Amino acid sequence: MSSASTRLAVRAALAGVMMATFIPGTGAQTPARQTAFSPARLWDGQTPDFRGIWQVLDTAYVNIEGHPAGKGIAASKSIIVEPSDGKIPYKPEALKQRQENYRTRATADPSLKCYQAGVPRATYLAIPLQILQSPGNFAIVYQENHAFRVFHQDTRPHFDSTDWWMGDTRYRWEGDALVADVVAITDQAWLDQAGNFHSTEAHIVERYRLIGRDALEYEARIEDPVVYSMPWTLRTVLYRVKQPGARIIEDECLEDANGVRHHISPSDPRNLLKSDYSRWTKPAQK
Amino acid sequence: MKILRAYHGRTMLPATICLLMSVPGAGPVWAQTTDTSLKKSQSAVRRLPDGYPDLQGLWMKSTGGFQGLFVGSLDGTNFAAQGRGRGAGPAGRGGGTTYEYTPAAEAERKDRVRRGHEDPEAGCHLPGVPRALDQPGGLYPVQIIQDERYVALLHEAMHDVRIIPTDNSKHPRNYWAWDGDSRGRWEGDTLVVDVSNFNGRTWLDMAGNFVDENEHVVERFTLTDPDTILYEATISDPTVFVKPVQMRFTLKRVPAEQQILEYSCLEGERSLQHYTEEDGGTKQRAR
Repeated sequence: MSSASTRLAVRAALAGVMMATFIPGTGAQTPARQTAFSPARLWDGQTPDFRGIWQVLDTAYVNIEGHPAGKGIAASKSIIVEPSDGKIPYKPEALKQRQENYRTRATADPSLKCYQAGVPRATYLAIPLQILQSPGNFAIVYQENHAFRVFHQDTRPHFDSTDWWMGDTRYRWEGDALVADVVAITDQAWLDQAGNFHSTEAHIVERYRLIGRDALEYEARIEDPVVYSMPWTLRTVLYRVKQPGARIIEDECLEDANGVRHHISPSDPRNLLKSDYSRWTKPAQK
Repeated sequence: MKILRAYHGRTMLPATICLLMSVPGAGPVWAQTTDTSLKKSQSAVRRLPDGYPDLQGLWMKSTGGFQGLFVGSLDGTNFAAQGRGRGAGPAGRGGGTTYEYTPAAEAERKDRVRRGHEDPEAGCHLPGVPRALDQPGGLYPVQIIQDERYVALLHEAMHDVRIIPTDNSKHPRNYWAWDGDSRGRWEGDTLVVDVSNFNGRTWLDMAGNFVDENEHVVERFTLTDPDTILYEATISDPTVFVKPVQMRFTLKRVPAEQQILEYSCLEGERSLQHYTEEDGGTKQRAR
């Protein structure tokens, strides 16, 4: 960019494009909020700076359609903003499947086996994630099960010949919002602990946008003609983790006595059952 | 499931490196680089605004083969148990890595050759350091993203992640991890990473070489030309090794049309099907 005035002109043009794309898609209140905050930039002077450690504060991970309070868990409203009833527009057969998932959630939730959480679930787990960024590069590292996603610019087509847990992501900037297109997601992943789900046909459009220095709005529009009667949209806000020295902590599950993987506390004696260093001073009994 | 890289066959290796790899006993690749030519080629590397070399991109360990590929292999033969042991010069590391164990640790290493199925990486656990980078050459890449505060290594294998602060900060207390704790600093144009706080569970490879919780690694990343990172690691562990283990290999830039893929290992692990029942797996031993 050669001068400040050129930069301003380009920004103004981008903002115009952005307004035009926002109005039909996401409701009347969005364009007004869009102009409210101008984020800091990376060292190229252009790219909005989303770097940092972020985390949601609510408990929508229990059930994105909303849920009452439980032991040690605050109640949560639905984070679904479209349709307006806050419910996922399942087809009748799919709703039966969701009810079955809900009934068996204590054992059937894939996250119990320490699988990667999937998209968009990893975003609103109330577990920190870190956005890594440089001009032309964007990646999110999720603390949960050390999953990560490398966002590829949408100048190249999706790599969708197989199903991934964290999908295949292509992104572009629409003004100061990062818009990501995600496909190739396995139908083994759930959307929350309540058994909400999608099929392999799911197509997700994510929108990341700073609405303040320390607040990152996240929106996901999910289209899946196999499971839903219409596309639907969830929206939440992640907050910057500001503790000094905060870092993503390694999260590696360990096996129980039956070889099944669990989140086991490092201080739990069960974590000494397998592949423990102390075995080499007292050889294993075979 | 473990997914082999879709295009890894297209990774380009300079012919000279391929040739060296194929000649037993050939000198290490880096020996060709003289100091003056290094300076010249380094002047061509891109830099971030802070002046340090830009290590970003997709990288693949360039040297071929690794010693453990056929351990516990298809017909149940355990090659490691048949004399490849002693960690002797695995080809994948440029032929130079030697391990000198204490007597007690050597006995343990031999026993681990027999207990190969207990290698935690076979169960999809984090490989640790330096094994995260010391993967089979040409198979699993690493994506590096860098700014003025961090150099992040996103490994395809085991979706292992290391976000390394480059502020020369201190290791924390009361924290132990598979990958330990990494703290980086720049020494000239070389990124030096001090890694400590290991939980002692990781093995160094599939051939029984191992470390315990006293492991301490100093890694050096040097961009020797725009498409080559020289990786050097010094692994010390006073309760395991008589003297520190030196490891060196190169990472080559992966062509831009390739991308890192997901490695959903735990989500459908198949490795145990390839181990025989007596090794703790589910495969019937061939008669």
